[in-house]
Amino acid sequence: MSTSAPARPATPIGRAASGADERLTIAGPLRRTLNKVFPDHWSFLLGEIALYTFVILLLTGTYLTFFFDASMEEVVYDGSYDPLRGVEMSKAYATSLDISFDVRGGLLMRQIHHWAALLFVAAIVVHLMRTFFTGAFRKPREANWMIGVALLVLGILEGVFGYSLPDDLLSGTGLRIINAIIMSIPVIGTWTAFAIFGGEFPGEVIIARFYILHVLLIPGILLALISAHLLLIVKNKHTQFPGPGRTEDNVVGKRFFPVFAVKSGGFFMVVFGLTAALGGLVQINPIWLYGPYNPGLVSAGSQPDWYVGFLDGSTRLFPPWDLYIFGYNIPPLFWPTIVMPGILFTLLALYPIIEAKLTKDTAHHNLLQRPRDVPVRTAIGAMALAFYTVLWISGGNDLIADKFNISLNAMTWVGRIGLIVLPPIAYWVAYRLCLGLQQHDRQVLEHGVETGIIRRLPHGEFIEVHQPLGPVDAHGHGSLQYGGAPVPKRMNHIGGLGRAVKGFFTPIEDAAPRHDPALDEERQVELTGSGRPKDTEA
Amino acid sequence: MSTPASEEFPAGDARSGAHPGEAQPGGAQPMAGSPPVAGPGPSHAELAAMSREELVTLGGEMDGVRVVYAEPPVPPGSRLEKRAVRQVAASFLGVTLSVVAFVVLFVAWPWQLDYSGQGEGFDYAALYTPLLGLTLGSALTFLGVGVVLWAKKLMTYEVVVQDRHEGASPQIERQTTAATMLSGLNDTGIGRHTLVRRTLLLASAALGLLAVVPLVGGLIKKPGDQLFRTPWEPGMRLLGLDGVPVRPLDMRPGSLQTVFPPVEAGNRSADAVTMLIRLLPDQAQRYRPREGQEGYRWNDFVAFSKICTHAGCPVSLYEQETGLILCPCHQSQFDVTDGAKSIFGPATRSLPQLPLDVDNDGYFVATSDFTEPIGPAFWERSS
Amino acid sequence: MSSGLALLLALIAVGGLYSATAPESTAQDSGLSVEAMAGQEIYENGCITCHGRNLQGVEDQGPSLIGVGEAAVYFQVGTGRMPLAQNEAQAQRKTPAYDDAEVNQLMAYIQANGGGPTLPDEGDLREGELAEGGELFRLNCASCHNFAGRGGALSGGKNAPALTESTDLDIYTAMLSGPQNMPVFGDNQLTPEQKRSIINYVQTLKETADPGGAGIGRAGPVPEGLVIWVVGITVCLVVCVWVGSRA
Repeated sequence: MSTSAPARPATPIGRAASGADERLTIAGPLRRTLNKVFPDHWSFLLGEIALYTFVILLLTGTYLTFFFDASMEEVVYDGSYDPLRGVEMSKAYATSLDISFDVRGGLLMRQIHHWAALLFVAAIVVHLMRTFFTGAFRKPREANWMIGVALLVLGILEGVFGYSLPDDLLSGTGLRIINAIIMSIPVIGTWTAFAIFGGEFPGEVIIARFYILHVLLIPGILLALISAHLLLIVKNKHTQFPGPGRTEDNVVGKRFFPVFAVKSGGFFMVVFGLTAALGGLVQINPIWLYGPYNPGLVSAGSQPDWYVGFLDGSTRLFPPWDLYIFGYNIPPLFWPTIVMPGILFTLLALYPIIEAKLTKDTAHHNLLQRPRDVPVRTAIGAMALAFYTVLWISGGNDLIADKFNISLNAMTWVGRIGLIVLPPIAYWVAYRLCLGLQQHDRQVLEHGVETGIIRRLPHGEFIEVHQPLGPVDAHGHGSLQYGGAPVPKRMNHIGGLGRAVKGFFTPIEDAAPRHDPALDEERQVELTGSGRPKDTEA
Repeated sequence: MSTPASEEFPAGDARSGAHPGEAQPGGAQPMAGSPPVAGPGPSHAELAAMSREELVTLGGEMDGVRVVYAEPPVPPGSRLEKRAVRQVAASFLGVTLSVVAFVVLFVAWPWQLDYSGQGEGFDYAALYTPLLGLTLGSALTFLGVGVVLWAKKLMTYEVVVQDRHEGASPQIERQTTAATMLSGLNDTGIGRHTLVRRTLLLASAALGLLAVVPLVGGLIKKPGDQLFRTPWEPGMRLLGLDGVPVRPLDMRPGSLQTVFPPVEAGNRSADAVTMLIRLLPDQAQRYRPREGQEGYRWNDFVAFSKICTHAGCPVSLYEQETGLILCPCHQSQFDVTDGAKSIFGPATRSLPQLPLDVDNDGYFVATSDFTEPIGPAFWERSS
Repeated sequence: MSSGLALLLALIAVGGLYSATAPESTAQDSGLSVEAMAGQEIYENGCITCHGRNLQGVEDQGPSLIGVGEAAVYFQVGTGRMPLAQNEAQAQRKTPAYDDAEVNQLMAYIQANGGGPTLPDEGDLREGELAEGGELFRLNCASCHNFAGRGGALSGGKNAPALTESTDLDIYTAMLSGPQNMPVFGDNQLTPEQKRSIINYVQTLKETADPGGAGIGRAGPVPEGLVIWVVGITVCLVVCVWVGSRA
C-alpha cells in the first residue's frame, strides 16, 4: 500500500473500519450506498410492508417450528383444552393445540404469524396496484414486475401450505379441495395427486411434505426472489413521479443515510407493532374450535384465507359443465381453479410486454404516470379489479347470505351475472373519470385556480374570479403545458392562503409561517454545503 | 457556504409546480457519465486538509449526488426543537415501559384458561394473549414512532438529486465484451464440432432426466382402481361414528345419520363415508331413483355418498323438509328425492348411492360397494 | 344461570306432563286432561288455520301435528317461531306469543293426540361428556350450524340459526323434533346422554372466552380477511402517508 498513508484513525471504531476496508475494499461501495438517493412518496413504502411482514413471518415461523410436529400419526390429546381432551387426532393438530394452550405466549406467536401472512399478501397486492396504475413496470423494469408477480403467486402458495399444516377441520377441508383440484387436471391429474399425497386422499404424508415446502423450499425461493427484486431496484434506481427538477435522468429525493434508513427502520417497527397488536387483540384461526380433521366432517362456512377467496368464488360461480373427450373426463373444477388463475397470472406477468407491444413503446421510463393520464391502462386495471372483487365476494357469499338474509342461490346468480356485467362497467367508468380529471387539469392550467370569489359585473353578470397559474395571453388564457404532475387546484396549494392549519387539538403551526427572514437566516447559518448540520464536535 | 435554494425548489412545497421535464437545475454535472474514481483526485495531503463537510461534498460529487435544498425541520435550540426532542424521548421511554409491562405480564399474569365450563365469574386468563399483544405491539409501535419522529423532526429535510447512469453500456464496452465472448466461444469450437455440440445437448437432456427421475420415481404411486372402489363390501353393516350398527328403528322420518363401514379406521375413511337418510313419508312416495338403481333403497331409507362429486367436501347440510343436501364449500345442491341429483351450483353428477338392505339380525347392510366412483371427478372416469 | 333456567323449565314441563297424565284430572267425555283442554282452546284460536281441525295439517299451509309430540311444541312455540309471522321463508326466533303456562297447555293437548317425543324428564341437560359432545357436534351439527354454533346459510334463503340464544332445553327439543328443515335426531340415533353431551359442548363453547382476543364472530377466515383489509391495510396506508410526508 501507499507509504504516504494518512494518519491512522485514532478511535477503536475507526481502526476497525480501516481494518475492514484493508481486507474488503468496501469504502467506495459503502459510501455509494450511503449516498444513494431514494425518491420519497408515501406510495413507494407499500412494498416495504410486504418486505417487513416477510421478516416477521421468518421470525415467528422459526419460533413455531420449535414446538410443531408435522406428523399425521394418531395420538390421543391430553393437553389443557378440555373440550378436546381424550379425542383422537394427528400429532400435527395436537402440537398446534399445545402451541395455543400449553406454551406460554405461543398463541400470540401463532396469531402474529397468521396475521402477518394475511398482511404479507395484502401488501403485495396493494404494492402491485401502485406499480400497475403508475406505469412503474415499464422498461427497464419488466423483469422486476415479473419477479413481483412470482412473489405474489409464491406468497399465496406459501400461505396455502401454512393454512394446511395444523390439520384441523378447516385446513383438512382445504387439503381435500386441493386434492380434488389436482385430480381435475387432464391426463396427469390422478397420477400427480397420488404422487403428492402419497396415495389416495388423505394419505399419511401430506402434512410433512407441505411442512418442508412451507418452512424451507418456498421461503428459500421467496428470499432469493426478494433479494433479486431489491437488487434490481438498486440497479435501476427507483422511479419517481414527475415534478419540478425531476427528469428521466435523475432521482430526486433523500439520501439513504440517515433519513431514509431511519424512517424505514421506524416503519418496520410500526408494521411489526401493528401485527403484534392484531396477534394479541384479534383472534385468528381458532383451530381448537374447528376440531381435528376427519374427511367425513365439515363445518358450515368453510372458507380459505382471503387470498385464495377469489378461487373459491370462481369455483362457486362456475356453471356445472362436465366435458367428456373420447371417454375421458375434464371435471368442472378444472376451469375455475387451474385454467382461470393460470390465465390471470400469466396475463398479469406479461402485462408489461403486452402493453409495450400494443403501444409500440420502446423508451426507457423512470418517470411515473398519473393514472388519469393513461386512461386505457387505468380502465383495464379497474376492470380487472372489478372481476377480482366479484370473485372474492363470491368466495364468502354463504356468509353474506346468512348475515344479511339473502338467498344463497340469489348470491350465486348475482355473482355469475356480476362477473360478466361489472368489469365492462368498471372499465367505462374509470375511463370517463380519467378523461374528466384530465380535462379539469387542463382547465385549471388554462383558466387558473378557482378562488371562490364571486364578482358581479356592471351589467349584472356574476363571474367567479380565477387565479392564473402563469402568464396569460390577451384573452386571459394561461399558456402552461401539462407536465404529468399534479396541478394545484386550491388557493392554498399555491400559497395564496397559507398552508392548511394542522394539528388535532391545537395548531402545530401558525397559519402563515412561511417567510420569517430571521428564521431563514438562522437555518441557513446552521446548514453546510453538504446539506447536513455543522459538526458540533470536530 | 449556504444552501443554494434554487428557483426550481421553492421552500414551500417541492411539488407545487407544473414544469417537469425542464432543464435540470444547476446545469452541467461535475461527474456525469464518468466512473467515480476516474481522473486524478485530490492528493493525500489535500484530502487530509479537507474538512468533513468538504469530504462529504466531494463524496457526493463522486456519486453524482447534489444537495439542492436542505433545511432543518425545526430551528435549532427553538421551542419546537425541544418539543420534538421530548416527543422522541417520550416514545423511547414508552418502549421501555411497554417491554417491562410485557415481561411482567408474561411471567405473572394467569395464562391458562379454564375450558371445562365449570368456571365461575370472569376468567382473567382470557386477557393473557390480548395483554401480551397490546404491550408487545405498543413497544414496537413506540419504537417505530419515536424513530420516525426523530427522522422527521430532528434530521435535516433535504432534497437531493442523483444522476442515473443507465441504459445501454458505452459502445466500447459492448463491442469489446461481444468480441471477447465470441472469440472465446469460437475457441471452444462449439459451432464447428457438430458432434460435440449434439452429444453435449443429448447429455444435458439426460442430466435433466437425472434430476427428475429420482424425485418422480420416489413419489409416484399407481392409482390403480383405488378411485373406483371404496371399502364397502356386500353384507357390510352400516356403523355409526361410535361403531354401533344402525337399525331401521333407530331413525325417525326426516333424519340423517352419517355411517361408516366396519373396517379399520372406517370412521375416518375419506371415501366410504355415507349418509343414511330416512325420508319423510311423502318424500318416500315421490322418490325417483336413478335409472338402474331402483333397488338401492330400503323402504323409506336411502344411502348416498357423503363426499361431494364436485370438490370432495362432505355434504351433509340436509334439509329434511325440502329433501335438499347442500355442500358448504361451493354450494352445490342435491335433491335426495330425485336420486341425489345435482340441481344447483357447480357439481355436475349425482351423489353415488349405496345399495341398502337389512340383514337377518335387523341391521342395515350394504348389498355392494358404490356402483360408480365416489367424490370429485378425474380424467380416467368415463361417466 | 341458563342451566338453572333450563332445570326450572324442565320441572315445569314435568309438572305439566304429570298433571296431563294424572288420572283424576281427566275430563269425562273427550278423554283430555283439564290442561290439555285449555291447550285445545288455544289451539283452536291460534293454530287451527294452518294445522287443521284435527291436527291433520292443511295442504300448503302447515304440516300435520299428530305424533310430533310436546317437544316440538315446546321448541316451536316456546322460542316464538310459532305462530308463524307472515311471509317468512322460515320461522324465526322471536318473542313468544304465549306464556309458559299456555305453552304447557298446548304441549299437553298435542301430546294427548298421537303422542310423540316428550321433554326430557330429569336432571341437568348438560350432564354429558364435553369431548364426546364435541365429536358428536362436529359430526351432526357443525355442517349447518358452523363449528361454534354461529349458524350458516342453507339453500334458497333458508338458514341454520345461530345457537347463541338457545337454552339447553331449546337445543334438546330441537334435536328431538327436527323443526323445519333440521333433521330429526331421535333417542335411538342420539341417546339422551349424547344429546346432553352435545348441549354441554355447545353451551360451554358459548360461555368460554376467546383466548386469542376478539372472536370476530367465530365465523372463520372471511371476517379475518375483512379485518386485515379494513384495519391492517388502512393503518398501514395511514402510516405510509405519515412516514412519507414532511414534518
